[in-house]
Amino acid sequence: MLLIPCPLCGKRSESEFIHGGPVGADRPDPNAVSDAEWVDYLTVAPNPLGPVQEKWWHARGCGEWLTIWRDTRTHDIVEAPDGIK
Amino acid sequence: MSYDVTFQRRGLDALFDLKGRAGAIRGWAGDTLPQLPDRPNTRSSGGEVEVYYVGCDHWLARAPLDQEEMLEAQLQPATCPVEISIVRVSDTLSFFRVTGPDAPEVMAIACPLDLHEAAFAVDAVTYTEMFGLKALVLRCTGGFEFAVEQSFGDMVEDYLTRATV
Repeated sequence: MLLIPCPLCGKRSESEFIHGGPVGADRPDPNAVSDAEWVDYLTVAPNPLGPVQEKWWHARGCGEWLTIWRDTRTHDIVEAPDGIK
Repeated sequence: MSYDVTFQRRGLDALFDLKGRAGAIRGWAGDTLPQLPDRPNTRSSGGEVEVYYVGCDHWLARAPLDQEEMLEAQLQPATCPVEISIVRVSDTLSFFRVTGPDAPEVMAIACPLDLHEAAFAVDAVTYTEMFGLKALVLRCTGGFEFAVEQSFGDMVEDYLTRATV
C-alpha cells in the first residue's frame, strides 16, 4: 500500500486515489514528426525501470490532481508534489 | 466479537456546497456564515452553522434543516457572483454517528485514515473512505460522524450493522 502525499491533505492511503497514468511527452506537431514518431506518441506510454512521473487523482478525498515520481523497482515515491514531504 | 458502540442514521441537515476563493465567499456571504476555516480539513462554527474546509477553494456549510430556507435566502445561490458557486446539497448525503468506547475500533474497520486524536484533531473534518466509498468524516461528542452519498445510505447502514454485531 502506497501512502501518497496530497498537497492539501498530506499523506493518504493509495485506496483514496485513482491512478491517472504516467505523464507522457508533450504533444508534438503532427506535421513536423515522422509517422513512426507520431504513432509512438499516440500509443507508447512511458514504462521505465526506475523513476516514472505519474498522475494521481485524490478522488475519494479533496479531488485534487497531483503528480509524483515513483520508482517502479522499489515502489518508493522519490519526488512528491511541491511543498509535501 | 461485539463492540461497545452505538450507531445512528441521522436525518437531513441543511448543506450548501461552496466553491471559490475564500475572500470572494466571505464577501458574498457576509455574516451568514461563520469565519471560514484557514487550514484544509478543519471546521469552524458559529451558532448552529458549521463550515467544513474540504478541498482546494471548496467548503461545505452545514446547519439544522429548519435553517435551510433562511440560509438559502441569505446566500442567494441563484444570483451569486460568477467567481463563486453556491449549491444546496442537503439531500445528497446520509449522515451516520458512531459513538461509544469502541467507536475508534469500528471506524478502523471501515476507514484507512488514522483517526487517533493525535492525527485527527477535534476540529478535523475530511473526505476519505468508509467501506470503500467516498465519505466525509468528522468527530462528534463521544465518537465520530460520517456522511456518504445518500443512495448508499441503506447499504452502509447494513454494513455497520454487520460490523458491530
